[in-house]
Order: sequence, then structure tokens, then C-alpha cells
Amino acid sequence: MTKLWHVAWHEYQRHVFKRRFVLIGLLSVPLIILVMVGLIYLVLSLDINTTPLGYVDYSGLLKDALPAPAPEPPDRPVPVLPFETEAAARSALDAGQIQAYFVLPADYLSTGRLSVVHLGALKDPARQQFYNFLTANLLRNTDPLIANRLVKGAEIIVQTPDGSRSVSSKNWFNVLVPIVAGIAFIIAMFSTGGYLMQAVVEEKENRTMEVIITSVSPNQFMAGKIIGDTAVGLTQIFLWMLFIVIPILALRNTMSFLRGIQIAPQTLLLMAFIMFPAFILVSALMAAIGATVSEAREGQQMVSMLSLPIWIPYMLTGSLMGNPNSPLALGLSLFPLTAPLTLLLRDGLTILPAWQIALSALIQVLCAAGAIWLAGRAFRLGMLRYGKRLKWREVFARNQP
Amino acid sequence: MPAVELSHISKSFGPIKAVDDVSFSIEKGELFGLLGPNGAGKTTSLRVMLDIFKPESGSVDILGGPMNESKKDHIGYMPEERGLYQDIPLDRCLAYLGSLKGLSPTEVKERAAVYLERFDLTASKSKKVKELSKGMQQKAQVIATLLHQPELLIVDEPFGGLDPLNTQMVKDLLFEQHQKGVTIILCSHQMHQVEELCDRIVLIDHGKVMLYGALDDIRRQFSGHAVTVRTSDKIPALKGVERIEPINGAVKLHLAMGTAPQEILRSLVAQNVTLEQFEISMPTLDEIFIRVVQGEGAPA
Repeated sequence: MTKLWHVAWHEYQRHVFKRRFVLIGLLSVPLIILVMVGLIYLVLSLDINTTPLGYVDYSGLLKDALPAPAPEPPDRPVPVLPFETEAAARSALDAGQIQAYFVLPADYLSTGRLSVVHLGALKDPARQQFYNFLTANLLRNTDPLIANRLVKGAEIIVQTPDGSRSVSSKNWFNVLVPIVAGIAFIIAMFSTGGYLMQAVVEEKENRTMEVIITSVSPNQFMAGKIIGDTAVGLTQIFLWMLFIVIPILALRNTMSFLRGIQIAPQTLLLMAFIMFPAFILVSALMAAIGATVSEAREGQQMVSMLSLPIWIPYMLTGSLMGNPNSPLALGLSLFPLTAPLTLLLRDGLTILPAWQIALSALIQVLCAAGAIWLAGRAFRLGMLRYGKRLKWREVFARNQP
Repeated sequence: MPAVELSHISKSFGPIKAVDDVSFSIEKGELFGLLGPNGAGKTTSLRVMLDIFKPESGSVDILGGPMNESKKDHIGYMPEERGLYQDIPLDRCLAYLGSLKGLSPTEVKERAAVYLERFDLTASKSKKVKELSKGMQQKAQVIATLLHQPELLIVDEPFGGLDPLNTQMVKDLLFEQHQKGVTIILCSHQMHQVEELCDRIVLIDHGKVMLYGALDDIRRQFSGHAVTVRTSDKIPALKGVERIEPINGAVKLHLAMGTAPQEILRSLVAQNVTLEQFEISMPTLDEIFIRVVQGEGAPA
């Protein structure tokens, strides 16, 4: 048994204590997320034009106007300037001093009609800031609590009849959490499985296999490798989580939408019962591929075939979002390779019946056990095939050498 | 009780019978030679012995019974296809391989230090294995095989890729292990090395045992076909001599089948030839090997 842990530790440290792991394994996903967030922020920032807005008020409602409420980041405040006449506003617009001006007619209160004049495109954030300014001034004589509620709007919480689960309209970000977690998990799963496959191929290529199996049983060796590489994957996920959670905690005071981010206990359970066996399943399949091929390059081609079904749920996101309880969704939730992402996608959109989770978890565990058996068998047969590929029909053959 | 006993083992790969009804045993503390031409079935026999391959028939007893996991810690195996982890430093590679043989980190460190010093590898212990020369890697492989002080040492072509100096070093090391009572199986096709080191051998060809026993007995079995004669006189024509071959101032008389050396001796004495030396020529293992492999077989 001790030898199994020696194998696991050797496997763990040969990957984790390498510069390549720190640079690619650890920083890749946080960097991708950082770039994505940066791009979103950039797109939002480009949408924000802080050139002042103007208004001409014939209704008298904005006399001695209150300042506009401060917008939420990443939106930035747009100054709102009064003009006596439309001509004055127009010359300011032509001079580029303002990006647009609103004209409130005398009967605005009764008709609700107002006009806006602009030369370039008037973006939504600026328009919204003017409406907030207008609303705040219309409600200036109302109880501040009510006024504030009217300006901020309502938070609609959709919940299950038993109250076990709920989704807030303000915390829409939570729908994305399982999806992002799923992507991270799959990246970790494939990089870990990749390490395992590479290690098995390398041991065949550098002929260490024969020395190793006269020291430790093939089953112990394979189990140790799977444990070690799964630990590498979990280390990766744990550190990614730190990379993601720390900035969220740091920025939650400045970005209010981050405050609402939370992971439902059910999502955590899903990850434990579906993703963990899926992790083992993929690792063992990768190890089996490594045992059958003679070169790492050959293995990579087979891995791409394995990864295809795993990403199918993302390709069908539209269909799954449209009808998260369709027979297609159910089928994908039960098929071992598509189950992890399908369930996580559906988890953000619907209430998953407990029996579906339990059945899917059972299938995952059985398939993971089968994959370990298959990997062990392929390993025993393929370990001394130098430069010659092991055929899958030999792996499944009844009579073994 | 023999250290290793193979009893009627057979092993095929598809239509090819790699090992066919092979039986031999190796006594404890013996330095035993496993010989055969390339592709004869030597390595397959070793792999069956080590339980890497399951035989279709026959049985293997190793260190007093069938192979099991705990016995692996008492066996040192250096395969013909050398294998070390290329991407890690030499000392870490030895530490890992030692740990798989049940050694503690301290034991590995202490024992590795001695061997690294002896093999002149101390300065290279922190280098990655792939940065070492082929000869250095070969020496490192020898260290990995001996680190756990095995009871049974199986070395497959241990001199391949070594220069004469390192060949002698490995030879000395094997002899030293033999002196300590370690059972050694030396698998090779370098006959002179086996001849120098081993007391008993088995010769396998086409998966079958062709010769098996004490080296002296085998050579004696193959002797009698020639005699070496040293004399200052001219060798007369002798009945039963097929060919006369001069060797280092002497002559080797190749005898016809059915001619006994004693008859030649009698003829020489009868013809008043002054004999300085008369001995039955013992064939070298190389000669025996060639004769057996070429199908001449052992003499009746």
C-alpha cells in the first residue's frame, strides 16, 4: 500500500513542482478570466461617454434640480447641465460641449413625452443616467425611502415552492457561476488527464516501465498515478478558486453585483458527486489511451476525440437554456461524458430532480470504476509494447497474455 | 532449495512460440548464465520468471515459491531496455526507484552516496538523467538495481554500451555480489563474459533449452573433437585426423568422428614423436554456442 502512495507522491511532485505547472497549469485559467473580465470592462467603458448631457426644461419640474444619483461601477457619472433655450443647447451640442440634450415640454407631466437631440449615438448608460436624474427630481417631495425604491427598482426572487432554491434578478451572476465552474473543472480535468497520459507514454518511451513493474504491481502503480494526478487537478482547482475568490472579496465593496455571488449547496454537491467521478473517469480513460499508444502525439489525437462529447453541452447551450428539462437535456445528463456540463448548465436554469442527480452520479461512479479497470487492463497489456500500438480489441479480448 | 526454478514453461505471442517447454533451476548464491542468440527467448524467460508475463503452461518458483509483491523487494532487475526517468535529477530518480523497493529516504541517501562515489557520479547527482551520457546512465541503472541489496539479481546484457573500464567495474561488482552470496542471473550473448563469470549456464535457442549444466561439464561434452599437440618434431600422417591447424607454436588436430584422443596419443608415441604437450582441446563457449546454434547440437 505504501508503494501506491510513493507512486502518487512522485506523480504529484513531478508535475506540481515544475515551472511549467505554475506558468501554464495555475495561471492559465485566472489569466483567461482576467482577460475576459478586462475585455468586458473595456467594452462597458467604451460604452460610457462622460461628455455632459444637457436639458431644456419648459415644464419647471427641474427647477433647482437635485443632482443625479451616482451610477454603479463600472458606469461613471455623466454631468447633467441645464440650458435656458434650445438654441443655447444646440450651440453647446454643435461645439461638442454636450453629447445630447433633452427637451421637457410644458405638458411633460401629463403626456410623459420628451424629446432628445443628439448628433452621434446616444448610448444607453448616459440615457439611463438622465432618466434616473429625472426620476429622482420627480420624486423629490416623496418619502426618500419610497423614492429610493422607485429609482432602484424591485428585486424579483424566483423560488421553488418548497423554498429550497431561489434565484434573484439582481444576482443574475449566480447563473453563470456553475457554468464557469464547469469550464474550469473540465480544463483541470483535461490538463490532469493529459499529465497522466503523458506520464504513461513517457514511461513506455523511456523504458522505465519494466523496472517499475518489477517493484510494484501494475494495479498499485496505476492507482497511485490516478491518485497523484487527481491531486494535481484538485490543487489546480483549489488555487484557481483562490485566484478568483480573493479578487471577488477584494472588489465586492466597489462592485455591488459581486456581493450577490454565492454558490448554492446543491451546486457544491453536484460538483462532488458528478464532477469528481467524472474527473476519475476522464483520467482513467486518458491513462488507458496512454497505455495503448506508442507516442504522445498519437495519444493527443485520441484525446481530441474524447474531449468532443464533453463539450457537446456547450454547443447545445441554446437548446438546453430554452428547455432545460427536455428529453435531450435528460439524455445528456445521464451520458457519462456529457453529464458534468449538462447538469451544471441545467442547475443554473431549472430545479434538477433528485433522482436525475442520483442516477447520473451512479452512472458516473460505475463508469469511473469501469474506466480504472480498463486502464489497468490496457496498462498490463500495453506496458511492454515498445513502438507498437495496442489494439483496443486486444484490450477487450477474453484471453489475455 | 533452488533460488529460482522454471518448470516446463511455455509462452507464445500470437503464432510465435517464444519459450517452449523450458526448464532449469538456479541454486542460491550461484552466478548463472542465461545464454542465447538474439530473439532466442531469453528475455521472455526472464519476464515469465518475474511474473511480467503469465506462462501458458509450466510453473515458476522464485525465492521459495510463486512470485508475490513482497518478493519484488528482494529482487534486483536490470532489463536490457534500460529505463530511468529522464526529466528528473539523478538523485531523485534513485530515491523514487529505491522507495519502490521498500527503502526509507535515509537508506536510499546513504546507499546511493556510496555507489555514486564508486561509479564516479557524485558530481552529476543533481543533473537531470537526460543530461548524463549513455555510459553514465548505464551506471546509474546498475546503482538503481543494487540499491536495495537484492537477494536475487537479474541482469540482462549488463555490459552493453559500456567501455572496457566500466565493463570491468560492473564485472567486479557482479563478482563482489556473488561473493556476498547474492544469486545472480546473467543474461547475455557475450560468451566470453559469461565464460569468465558463470559456473553454470543454460543456452536457449528458438525458445528451447539447448544446453544446461555446469560450464566445465558442457565444455567437456563438446571436447574430444580435437587435441592440442606441442612438439619440435614434424607431425606424421595420422589415421583419424581430418585437419591440422597451427596454433601459437602448437598444432590442433581435428579428429574424425569416432576417433578417440587416446588413439592419436598411441599413434604419436608409436611413431616416436617427442611430445612436449598433449591435451584434449576444450572448446570455448563461443565455439560451443556457434555449434549449438548452427544445429550441430550436443554430442551424444
